[in-house]
Amino acid sequence: MNIEEVKQEFEKAGYETWITERVAGVRNKVARKTLWIKVDKEKFREAMQFFKEIADQYPHFSIISCTDLENIIELNYHFALGYGGRLEEYVITFKVNLPKNDLKIDSIAGIFPAVIYSEREIQEMMGVVVKNIPDGRHMFLTKDFPSGVYPWRRDEAGVKETNKLYERWKDEA
Amino acid sequence: MRHDYEIAVGPIHPALKEPIMLRLTIEGEEIVDVDVIASQNHRGIEWIGMNRNNPIQSLYLAERICGICNFCHPSDLVMAIEEIADIEVPERAQYIRVIQGELERIHSHLLWAGVAAHEIGFDSLLHYTWMVREKVMDVLEAVNGNRVTKAIIMYGGVRRDIDEERAKLIRKMCSYYLEAFDKLANLFLKDETIKKRTREIGILKKEDALKLAAAGPTARASGVKKDVRQDFPYFAYPDFDVHAITPDELLGYTVGDVYDRIVVRLLEVKQSVEIIEEALNNMPSGDIIAEKKLVKLMAKIKSSEGEAVARYEAPRGEDIHYVMLKKGYEPLYSWKVRAPTYINILSWRPMLLGYQIADIPIIAASIDPCLSCTNRFAVVKNGEEKIIDADYFHRLSVQKTRRLMK
Repeated sequence: MNIEEVKQEFEKAGYETWITERVAGVRNKVARKTLWIKVDKEKFREAMQFFKEIADQYPHFSIISCTDLENIIELNYHFALGYGGRLEEYVITFKVNLPKNDLKIDSIAGIFPAVIYSEREIQEMMGVVVKNIPDGRHMFLTKDFPSGVYPWRRDEAGVKETNKLYERWKDEA
Repeated sequence: MRHDYEIAVGPIHPALKEPIMLRLTIEGEEIVDVDVIASQNHRGIEWIGMNRNNPIQSLYLAERICGICNFCHPSDLVMAIEEIADIEVPERAQYIRVIQGELERIHSHLLWAGVAAHEIGFDSLLHYTWMVREKVMDVLEAVNGNRVTKAIIMYGGVRRDIDEERAKLIRKMCSYYLEAFDKLANLFLKDETIKKRTREIGILKKEDALKLAAAGPTARASGVKKDVRQDFPYFAYPDFDVHAITPDELLGYTVGDVYDRIVVRLLEVKQSVEIIEEALNNMPSGDIIAEKKLVKLMAKIKSSEGEAVARYEAPRGEDIHYVMLKKGYEPLYSWKVRAPTYINILSWRPMLLGYQIADIPIIAASIDPCLSCTNRFAVVKNGEEKIIDADYFHRLSVQKTRRLMK
């Protein structure tokens, strides 16, 4: 299944999609393509299920990246498909926007088990609540990391004085 | 009667050279449950890149994400920003990048092979492997002026050329490795004791590798033909006929155990040597950097806006960076780094389940975890936590090898 076919499948199902590309190589120039798909957060789980069904190989989950865009938090779920063949792979990124007043997204760990570390990471780093997450513990931050502080946020919930973060005991003492 | 014990390996442990913790439930000698606890040391590198540094400073920061893969992370960042700011890279620079990347793969795989030999108590092989590795380290120093953190890559090209004199050194190194390869392969793959310690140990089935999104040699050793250089090539890689190496090439079948991971890495050393030779023979002439003036370069990056995903096949697996730039905002607006170990530690669970405590070091090391080095770990027995010296753990592994040799 090539990138155009995946694009068509998603367009048929009513999703907004676009492709970007970048050329690599010196004597043998090839275009490396990325497919972007916009998904509403209500339909997110459904879209992931759909993706797994139409894909002809097991989609390789890469990472969730996460950006604070003032009024919304943008989540990107990066996957790769088409691996195993020379020059045949492409990146698929699902974009989900969450409004700041409702930072909730469904867990997809039941569909793609590899996503679990990343889901735990966005919970602690961005303060996004992942609904039905099978394991909601801290991933990279320590157990005693202050609650309500999220390092990747750019608003008042972000980290202001990093040095002081771990020195709260001094104030308390 | 059943007695379960919990062993906590880490925060720091001999096979995992970085602060990570494995909490293992043991029944007798058998591992019945595995939990990975990563939250030991977070350096906030992404935060610095998004808040404090300008993109050029972040490039040097990215180089320090990992000492071994000090070319992979800046490469990813460079690729992402070149895509967003639409910077064209000179042809010669793309070839030099390929050579640098492959030099790094050789030293990283040999480093790992030495560590693997050490973990099972074969220290003479560790010293031999690392002696062989010194050759590439010397070449790295001669070409870049430094053995690690080489600061060679820059947005729009590379910072130092490989001239004829240095190319000669690299060629010499290539022929040295092609000669040394047979001896190394013989030592690692024919030795009966190594076979006993690694064959059918720490198996990762193909379906688990796919499900858990394993990357790099860990995935390939389980039969997943996945290599970014083949599937989604970057730099000058489309010019080369790189293919994903799986163990069946050498043996005719794939088991997915620790032994297979050794096979894959050894074959990849040879593959890297061949790529370097080909690159040296076909190197185009011309500039090595698109924009020499850093102020101009910064202005260009600062006025760019957009997002990009960059992928790079690091020695341990696929590195991914996601970058977003915003006009007028100097640091990276968004930066997500995914190192291969991030995803490969998921595979520890299926690999470790059902094996013995003495197998932990070699299985844990077999994914080539890239996490920093301390050496103590805790044993939780009847709820009491006791810190034990790392040597004890390593000794267990060595004792098992000795037992097998009798």
